[in-house]
Amino acid sequence: MIRIIQQRKKCIGCNACVEAFSSRWSMSRKDGKSVLIGGHKKKEIVSIIVGDDEYKENVKAATNCPVNIIKIIKL
Amino acid sequence: MNRVELMSPAGSFESLQAAIQGGADAVYFGIEQLNMRARSSNNFSIDDLASIHELCANKKIKTYLTLNTILYDHDISLMKRIINSAKDNHIDAIIASDQSVLVYAKKIKIPVHLSTQANISNIESVLFYSEYVDAIVLARELSLSQVTAIVKQIKKQNIKGPSGELMKIEIFAHGALCMAISGKCYMSLHTNFASANRGACIQNCRRSYIVKDKEEEIEFEIDNEYIMSSKDLCTIDFLDKIISTGVNILKIEGRGRSADYVYTTTKCYREAIDAYFKGSYNKESIISWKKQLETVFNRGFWSGYYLGKKMGEWTDEYGSKATLRKKYIGKGLKYYDKKKAAEFKLEAHQLIKGDSVLITGPTTGVISVQVEELRVDNSPVLSVQKGNIFTMSLKEKIRPSDKLYKVEEKNII
Repeated sequence: MIRIIQQRKKCIGCNACVEAFSSRWSMSRKDGKSVLIGGHKKKEIVSIIVGDDEYKENVKAATNCPVNIIKIIKL
Repeated sequence: MNRVELMSPAGSFESLQAAIQGGADAVYFGIEQLNMRARSSNNFSIDDLASIHELCANKKIKTYLTLNTILYDHDISLMKRIINSAKDNHIDAIIASDQSVLVYAKKIKIPVHLSTQANISNIESVLFYSEYVDAIVLARELSLSQVTAIVKQIKKQNIKGPSGELMKIEIFAHGALCMAISGKCYMSLHTNFASANRGACIQNCRRSYIVKDKEEEIEFEIDNEYIMSSKDLCTIDFLDKIISTGVNILKIEGRGRSADYVYTTTKCYREAIDAYFKGSYNKESIISWKKQLETVFNRGFWSGYYLGKKMGEWTDEYGSKATLRKKYIGKGLKYYDKKKAAEFKLEAHQLIKGDSVLITGPTTGVISVQVEELRVDNSPVLSVQKGNIFTMSLKEKIRPSDKLYKVEEKNII
């Protein structure tokens, strides 16, 4: 299992995470920031626990993020 | 000759106050992530627009909102919301380069200044955009003779914007320049996936590099290591030539800079512009202004491309060459109106009677003073240490949101 964490407030809406893995990330047309699909928001942090099969793609999303707001933790 | 408008950067309420105190005619600022300082943690939000307008309207200062990144489809809704809110809050104009912004702003009738990101470098382009914009920020890479020719042609061809007034021309007067033509650099995107054109530039051009011939394994010897880091633009010593071009607006770069930078640069250019129109713009004043400008962030100064002499001048140092450095030492607590005394808590280092300090805050703006008297528990002292709560005599009011800095000459720290 892996935990995906996003500091959404700092997102600049560049679309890089969506390009990396569009099954888990999408762009909000409401505020122009990226959405962690299925994520739960607690204060300013959005997170979700998903299977290991998504590890590679989400690491790519985290690596490509220019403002480093995505963290992937192996559980 | 018409007076020129001085436009200053406001990346925070502190800088906004500093611009007002320095004597700006107009301020520009970004909100949310659709501006060229998206990475900055200081951006305003839509909810701040009303306060910004109120602060500036009271002082008759114009307000310009930057919305000048590249926009994607998912940004359109936010872009429209920002522009609607700008219109509702009486913001004077939007600074933009993407055509989607120009079209929408025209539709809801809010004026647009075409950003330097559009790299306007000739009169035909001015004519093309005149259907949408009332002012154009020319490319920063033009010479003054090219700027003059464009201004003359606007008058000759009677090119007007949607407002029905003659097209206004704006140029940059002071601040950082790019090593590439503005908006045409992809280095940060290639190396770090951080697009400069989405306001996320990591400024890797500002670092030092070694150039290596891979075939021969020979490292090139380069006298100046910072081969991609341009010095900062400074026009205060030829501001007469700048104003003579007939431009309408002069912009100071630096939405990512501190309040004291905004205050000092605004104050110097305010004085210089006023001096020009009063006929008192002279060498002595230029020396004084330049010395003041050197005290705040700079990478060394050059005249940019305006004088058309040499090509880029590169800095020989990483970061700032400012002659003064400030270090954070404490925070404001309260102000005693009757005693005209300000109370602070010293959180780091020590403060000695006679030291120069800087106080900045979102309402206070910038206060720069020399400490004349220090008191702890109402008794005079010569110095205060970390942890002390103390007062100092001060004419201006301070607030709990204020930060206290000690200002020292660079070589002392």
